[in-house]
Parts: sequence; structure tokens; C-alpha cells
Amino acid sequence: MWYFIRPDAVSALEDPKVIEALPRYVDIVKNKKLAKFRICRLIPVEISGDESMEELWNIHKKLMNEYIKLEKELDEGKTIPSETPKFSLLHLKSTIAQRIMRSCILCERRCMKNREEGELGYCKVGKEMLVSSYFDHMGEEPEIVPSFTVYDFKSAELAWDAISGASTVKTGL
Amino acid sequence: MGCNFRCLHCQNWTISQQFEKGEYYTEKELALLIDDARRRGCRNQNWVGGDPIPHIPFWLRVLLYEKENMPVFFNTNGYLTIEAMELLRGIVDIYKIDFKYGNNRCAERISDVKNYMEVITRNLKLAKDYGELLIRILVLPNHLDCCLSKILEFISKELGKNTRVNLMDQYTPHWRAKEVPEITRRLNSYEWKKAIEMVKYYGLTNVIS
Repeated sequence: MWYFIRPDAVSALEDPKVIEALPRYVDIVKNKKLAKFRICRLIPVEISGDESMEELWNIHKKLMNEYIKLEKELDEGKTIPSETPKFSLLHLKSTIAQRIMRSCILCERRCMKNREEGELGYCKVGKEMLVSSYFDHMGEEPEIVPSFTVYDFKSAELAWDAISGASTVKTGL
Repeated sequence: MGCNFRCLHCQNWTISQQFEKGEYYTEKELALLIDDARRRGCRNQNWVGGDPIPHIPFWLRVLLYEKENMPVFFNTNGYLTIEAMELLRGIVDIYKIDFKYGNNRCAERISDVKNYMEVITRNLKLAKDYGELLIRILVLPNHLDCCLSKILEFISKELGKNTRVNLMDQYTPHWRAKEVPEITRRLNSYEWKKAIEMVKYYGLTNVIS
């Protein structure tokens, strides 16, 4: 039982300092508000798939204004729409993210590797995330635990190398 | 590595004893596991990596399958582009950003990154605007004046004295830390005391230490 391991976490969601800094998070944990991605999934998008990157970003910009408005309305008590669109703002974000991987600029190294084709970035990540492990993390801040935490395979490799002292990893690889 | 940094003192291995090597999950399978975790009382989904930045496209697909109302905790070094920040807006509930260095020289020397200050300060401001922010600072030995002081000053002046900060004293030299002479030891009690004094000096009011 996690509350024996981290008794400080039990009352953390009532801690005024936590509520001051992370009010919306606390409400989501208590199911009084919707996690942001759930709101994204409520906003319909119509695209053909042939749009240029610039066009996709323009649509994204427009819909983010709708997002901000909807988040505010829902937070103020508006009823959650019962129907979710087939293709949502979350799909649009996913489409753009996938397109970015063709010349990756997610991180500020901007290494522009074609990860969609399996090329590895500086991060050594290619097309897919290989999930190596997950667990209920008890070592984070009191308001965060228990936290369902996911690690990728590559960092596991690095970790095992480091433990065994057999690291072949070189800086700048 | 799954990470866009190369911190010579990387401490990733400390969590590795819990690794279950060699199993792979699809987006759909992972979404089911996350939903289960929420139902048994986990408070958030903690995207790590390495760093979660390279995995954003994957995570966005996982979210398409999730059914529960599980907040997203983005556990990052903060070295991402504006484009990535825009994709995360409306996705991430808490941006947990490690504020590691107070100048570009230390960042380049220890973590092999350029323009660190420009990037991290821009993203911290955006994160505060786009969601909620939690900053972690791992205090490095001999980096109080060059780094910690500058970090606290920025938080105090630009993000607000009530920013939630986790100030951590548990630095231990791991991996290739021996290549950076001044960080080959743990923090001493004098340095930790000085760190706490700096927090007071800059007037931060929401610090876990």
C-alpha cells in the first residue's frame, strides 16, 4: 500500500503550497477537471492529409484558440460534450508530430534526421519508442506519487552499461 | 540513449534495478496499462525516456487510446523547440523541467548542449503559460555561484517567487563524472547550507528541500 511508503503524499493534494502552484492538476487528480489531452480530443478537425506543413500549422493555430476557449468553459462548469469527433485536435497534433520526424526538430539540437525512415537522431531514437519498463514511481514529489512512469529501452541499455562498467557510450555519439 | 543530453554525471542507472528488460509495448497496450494505473490510484502518467522529447510522436498516439482522465506529467530537461512546445500545449498538464545550469559554458561542458540558457528560459516561461510548472534543481558541487545562484535569480525575477521548486541535495557522481574534476564528489554540508541561504536570499516561497 503506497500510503505506508509515502505518508506525506496522502495529504499533499490538500497542501496549500501544492494547490497554489498546481491547482488544475490537483483538480484533475480529483476528477473535478479534464486532463488537457481529453479536451483536445473534443475539438473536431477536418483535413485531407495532403496539406503542407505550413497549412497544418495554420489549422493548428486556429484550433488552439478554440482549445483555450473550451478549456476555460469546461473549467467553469460547462457540460462535457457527450460525442467525441472522429478526427480531433489530438489527431492533428499526432499528424504534425509524425511529419516532423521526417526531418526531426523536436529538440533544440535540430539534428533533422529522418526518423520516420528509421534513421536515429542524436538521441538514438528512430521511428518507434521501445518501452522497456513501467512502474508506480514512489520517489517523486509528494503531490506526484504514485506516478505511473515509463522508461524507454535505450535508457535502460545505458543504465545497464553504467552498472556493469562496460559502457561503450561516448560523448558526442 | 533516448535522451538529447549527454550529462557526464547521468544518474539514470539508479532506477534501473526496477527495469524489466526486453519487453515491448504498442501504443494501445500502453494505453491500457495507463488506464489500469489510474484506476488503482496513480495520480499521473509520467513520461520520462531518457527524455520524453524524442518520444512525443509516440506519446500523442498513446493518448488517442486512453480512456481515463489521467494528467500528463512531462518529465523533461526542457531542451525542446518552439514547435514541440506548441504540440504539447493542450496536452501536458504539468511541465516538470530540470533547471540544470545557470550559464551556457557549464551546460556545454557537462551536458554537451549549446545555447542552453536561451532555450531553457524561453521554455520555462512558455511552460508556465501553457500549463503548470514544477522545477527540479539538482545542486552540483562547486556550481553554486556559477549555476545555482543564476537559476534562482531567474526563477525569482521571471517566473515568480511562488514557483514550486524541488531543490535536491542527493547528487552523487555517476557514469563519467570523473571527467569533470569539480563534480567528482557529493555536495558537502557547507554547500547545502549555502544553497538554502540562496533560496532565502532570492525570496522563493514554495521550495521542497
